[in-house]
Amino acid sequence: MTPHGRQALERCLHSPRILVGGIILILIVIASLGAPIFAPHDPQEQDLINTLLPPMWQAGGDPSYPLGTDGLGRCILSRLLYGGRVALYVAALSSLGAMLLGTVLALLAGYFRGPVDWLISRIVEIWMAFPPVILTLLLLLALGAGVNKVVLAIVLIDWTRFCRVIRSDVMVVARKDYVAAARLVGFSHVRTLLREVLPAVAPLVLTMLSLEAGIAVVVEAIMSFVGLSVEPDVPAWGVMLADARSTMNQAPFGVVVPVLAIFLTILSFNLLGDGLRRALDPRLVTSRGRA
Amino acid sequence: MADVLRAKNLTVSSAGGIAVLRDISFAVARGEIIGLVGESGAGKSMLGRVIAANLPGGFHVSEGSLDFGGADLTRITGEARRQLLGREIAFIPQEPLTSLNPVLTIGQQFSEHLARIGGLPRSAFREHIVQALADVRLRNPEDLLQRYPFQLSGGMCQRVLIAMAFAAKPALVIADEPTTALDVSTQATVVQIMRRLQREQGTAMVFITHDLRLAARVCNRIAVLYAGEVIEEGPAGEVLEAPRHPYTRVLKAANPVLSGPRHRLRTLPDQMPTVEAFARLPGCRFATRCPVADPACAAAIPTLREIAPAHFVRCSDACGERAAALVEAEPILVPPAADKGSEPVLVLEGLSKHYPGKADWLGRRKPGTDAVKNVGLTVQRGEFIGIVGESGSGKSTLARLIAGLETPTDGRILVAGEDVTRADSKARALRLETLQMVFQDPQSALNPRRSIDHIVTQAMEPTGASRAERLERARSLLAETKLSGELLERYPAQLSGGQKQRVNIARALCVTPHLLIADEIVSGLDVSVQAQILNLLLDLRAARDLSLVLISHDLAVVRYLCSRVVIMHHGVVVEEGEVDRVFGDPQHPYTRQLIAAVPPDDLDTPWPAPVAVEPDNAEGLERASI
Amino acid sequence: MGRIALELLLRRIILAIPILICVSALIFILLRLVPADPVAMSLPPGSSQADYEAMKQALGLDRSIPEQYWIWISSLLRGDFGTSVFFRRPVIDLVATALPATVELVVFSLIVGTLLGIGGGMLMFAWRGTIGEQVLDLGTTAIMAVPEFLWAILLILFLGVAVPLLPFIGRLDPSVSLPPSVTGFLLLDSIMTGRPDVLGSALTHMVLPVIALSIGLAPLIMRVLRSSLIETIMEDYITQARLRGISERQIILHHALKNAALPTISLIGVQGGFMFGGTVLVEMIFAYPGLGNLMVDAVRNHDLPVVQVVGLVYCVLVLAINAIVDVIYLAANPKLRMA
Repeated sequence: MTPHGRQALERCLHSPRILVGGIILILIVIASLGAPIFAPHDPQEQDLINTLLPPMWQAGGDPSYPLGTDGLGRCILSRLLYGGRVALYVAALSSLGAMLLGTVLALLAGYFRGPVDWLISRIVEIWMAFPPVILTLLLLLALGAGVNKVVLAIVLIDWTRFCRVIRSDVMVVARKDYVAAARLVGFSHVRTLLREVLPAVAPLVLTMLSLEAGIAVVVEAIMSFVGLSVEPDVPAWGVMLADARSTMNQAPFGVVVPVLAIFLTILSFNLLGDGLRRALDPRLVTSRGRA
Repeated sequence: MADVLRAKNLTVSSAGGIAVLRDISFAVARGEIIGLVGESGAGKSMLGRVIAANLPGGFHVSEGSLDFGGADLTRITGEARRQLLGREIAFIPQEPLTSLNPVLTIGQQFSEHLARIGGLPRSAFREHIVQALADVRLRNPEDLLQRYPFQLSGGMCQRVLIAMAFAAKPALVIADEPTTALDVSTQATVVQIMRRLQREQGTAMVFITHDLRLAARVCNRIAVLYAGEVIEEGPAGEVLEAPRHPYTRVLKAANPVLSGPRHRLRTLPDQMPTVEAFARLPGCRFATRCPVADPACAAAIPTLREIAPAHFVRCSDACGERAAALVEAEPILVPPAADKGSEPVLVLEGLSKHYPGKADWLGRRKPGTDAVKNVGLTVQRGEFIGIVGESGSGKSTLARLIAGLETPTDGRILVAGEDVTRADSKARALRLETLQMVFQDPQSALNPRRSIDHIVTQAMEPTGASRAERLERARSLLAETKLSGELLERYPAQLSGGQKQRVNIARALCVTPHLLIADEIVSGLDVSVQAQILNLLLDLRAARDLSLVLISHDLAVVRYLCSRVVIMHHGVVVEEGEVDRVFGDPQHPYTRQLIAAVPPDDLDTPWPAPVAVEPDNAEGLERASI
Repeated sequence: MGRIALELLLRRIILAIPILICVSALIFILLRLVPADPVAMSLPPGSSQADYEAMKQALGLDRSIPEQYWIWISSLLRGDFGTSVFFRRPVIDLVATALPATVELVVFSLIVGTLLGIGGGMLMFAWRGTIGEQVLDLGTTAIMAVPEFLWAILLILFLGVAVPLLPFIGRLDPSVSLPPSVTGFLLLDSIMTGRPDVLGSALTHMVLPVIALSIGLAPLIMRVLRSSLIETIMEDYITQARLRGISERQIILHHALKNAALPTISLIGVQGGFMFGGTVLVEMIFAYPGLGNLMVDAVRNHDLPVVQVVGLVYCVLVLAINAIVDVIYLAANPKLRMA
């Protein structure tokens, strides 16, 4: 491992942001993956006698519904755990997809410049004219609703976030003499891109990946909130929010639960991204040498 | 005459208690200039930081005093210090272009300074500033008031800063490498203006520089610093012409000269110890590199002894035989004759590179620039040829054209007789086996994520060579560039500047090229390290059948290495010929101006000569239009 | 300065034309993919096959896609924005009432968010290296992990339902009668027609949505301003100003802030565009009759004529805010002005 890698890893392990963010995220992942084990009820099972139950520690709570029930008598805890699966599924797939598309295009644009760059930059410019939410709505209207459509929409929209930021980083790296030197000793363009340019921008890509996962969680929540994401029989945090909003006056706790879940998930991704940015900042790494 | 500034046993220590500056004593009187000379890491800039109370983290004054007009600058409060700064003590910075605020005009910044100094009604500011700017020989000072710093050249910015520094008629001016960032031809002008104002106002001045020759020209006295200590101090002329400390002697002999016979440059092993290493040097801090040290040197700290009137040396053997023997016995270098018999390695015919101007939103193109215009050049086998020019002369573009990193707009490039003008795969293959480039900035030229053995054998990576083959090759390349084999698994960040530049050279040698293109490869290095690299290039010529295109702004470096020289100015070759002819009898006025800008080795020759001090506003206005 | 700013504005407008053409084409093509029959939706119940063909022809849907696009664009240029399938009203009327509401919301939120951000950023800078900065840093991290629409819900929960302090439905109290429309901007109209009751009611209705929208912007500005201030004070010209004895206060206000403002201005440009997206959900949650509410309704009802116009209007708004921020950036950056 290079001293860069070692130093960076060390800083990551000493970063309170990364540690806290990582631990929260791991807990969320365990809770969601283990939903069938942990959930006390089927998330769709309605108990029409016990609707709008408060959480178990409040007066009138029922220990078999630890976080209470919603307007249809469904177990909030079970729905919360299963809803996490949707959020994490969308977060993982869409952030990876957007990263892949955005990074490849950024590498091409920033390294080759010229007409390739012109074309990619114009597309980014057109995309940037849309508020992301509007473009998502348009895409979902065209593609039809559904979780996978949401994933596809996020990839098709948020690749520009990666592309814009990474492209300018690629340009900086591509201007370095060591890239020219690699060409002069016989490296092909592809080899130069993969061996010299990509490693230099990888920390930024990783940081953005983490932040993008947080954004994807928000988008999924919004879309399931307005009913454009999951099927009606699938529990998702946005759906829980929409359901609880209509009964907010009687059972405010039903709103708080999904809000807290979304908050913690985004917080963990943001903390990770923030920590990674600080730990992997190339300026910090290179300044370790002799001044 | 009363001393304006007097340092007494000044010691600055790091947080760990290591003395970064040790026992510094000197004094500057009214109207006097003292030079603090040293390579990077010597601690020469630390003094200015002590005065400004701007020491790096953890560093503090642990002993001694710095007396200024009855006040000890190491002890006064922040507010009292602030009152002195700008009024009584002024600073001239190293980087003029970045030392003026880019979003404020020259007029705004100067006015702010005048308001701070006080004593002048606001209505008189404008007239006062115009006068001050005219005084540093800036043309159209009225117009300059509305200009922003980035519209000015470095030389112009520096003159503005000089005018500001002297505006308050300060008692003391600290100039920290004021000409280092400037082009050679501007250097003389700036020095002359600074000296004139200093003389007129009777200012005491501390002139900090790495250039011993320049210091001898500017200063009355010189203090040479090494690893945080003054190792020699004396009258300027005496220190330059008859240095006594072994370090000063080697420093002088490590500097290539513009006239007289060419000696092989003296070199010192390694480089100046870092602050962390000071702790391991209980005795003389120079002992580990000293060519005449004996075991006793490493044990005891030598005292500063007065060996001649007002000439002090910190060495146990300063006037002894051992040190005196240092300068002689250096072999004389014979410039090699070019091999005219065989095919030239490189031929350039009418080579041009035009950069089109940017089109505005209506598609109107601004006029472009001819970075390189109609350049012809032939490099024979084994020939070392120098290309000299200042920034913007097109010399770096020429290097990139030859290397194939840019395509020419016109003309032909022949490598070993084959046309490689069109950068297709055949031309690329031919270039690959014939020529290599050594880049200017090793920081940017070495991928920080690759280990040294991977960097130097990078050329073998696409060929699929085995790890063992590459390691063996890397070992021999490091040996050839006189680097220790221990460095193989290190990374660039762990290397010193000189070591990085050797790795840079080793990588270029991996493909056994016939021609090296070296773009300003010693410009960022200290004199003693520069000498190591220059000598390495000489040795490589002897060992390999190598030609060199050396691109440099430094005439003396070119004279030391090359047999022929090409002078470029604004993309055009203005003069070309044998080195001795061009430097001895320059024909073009620009060449004469370049040569006149370098302080001559002979202290009796007046400098700056009148020709070198043409005000050059034109240069700045050109920048503004780009 | 004025001339250059005008020229830049003009340049941005000209450059916006090809972008708008592409954007409108993109919207148009996307909406042709919608699995719904616009003809059937435009017809009243019980229409015949002949009515269907007639309507199809009237809508131009019997032509090729490029022809249809051209018909749409040319009618847009004539001022014919089409008719809502769902509301059975001209789209232009719907947009004309919704647009000012959204613009008011965004302008207010941008101002509030920027002021909070600049204040907080200066505070973070002043407290750099102290516990205070750490606390602010932690606070902003938490705030940024809550998206706008969750703020909207939380604000309703706490300030609307739990402690009913502020209204959270609509743009005005039902008891307040609408003033005559002059500009469409409720705040302006109420001032111009002398209706303090309308102004007061409108402002109280804006408080919660504005908080929801601006609370996410402020931390971003804080962080960018803090770090660019920290970077700026390391610059040579700051050191040089200190060496001239300029006071620290003057250095921050006169020298550092002007330079550090530049990245902040660009950030506001990008975030201003995103904020229009943020209004969609916030308006929906607060039942605020703006573009976002219109858009969500239209999407849910497959009201394509409305969707395509409102989508385009959003893009125009984003481009406009970018152009304005560009001009501000130019005014603050002499390097660009002189180029």
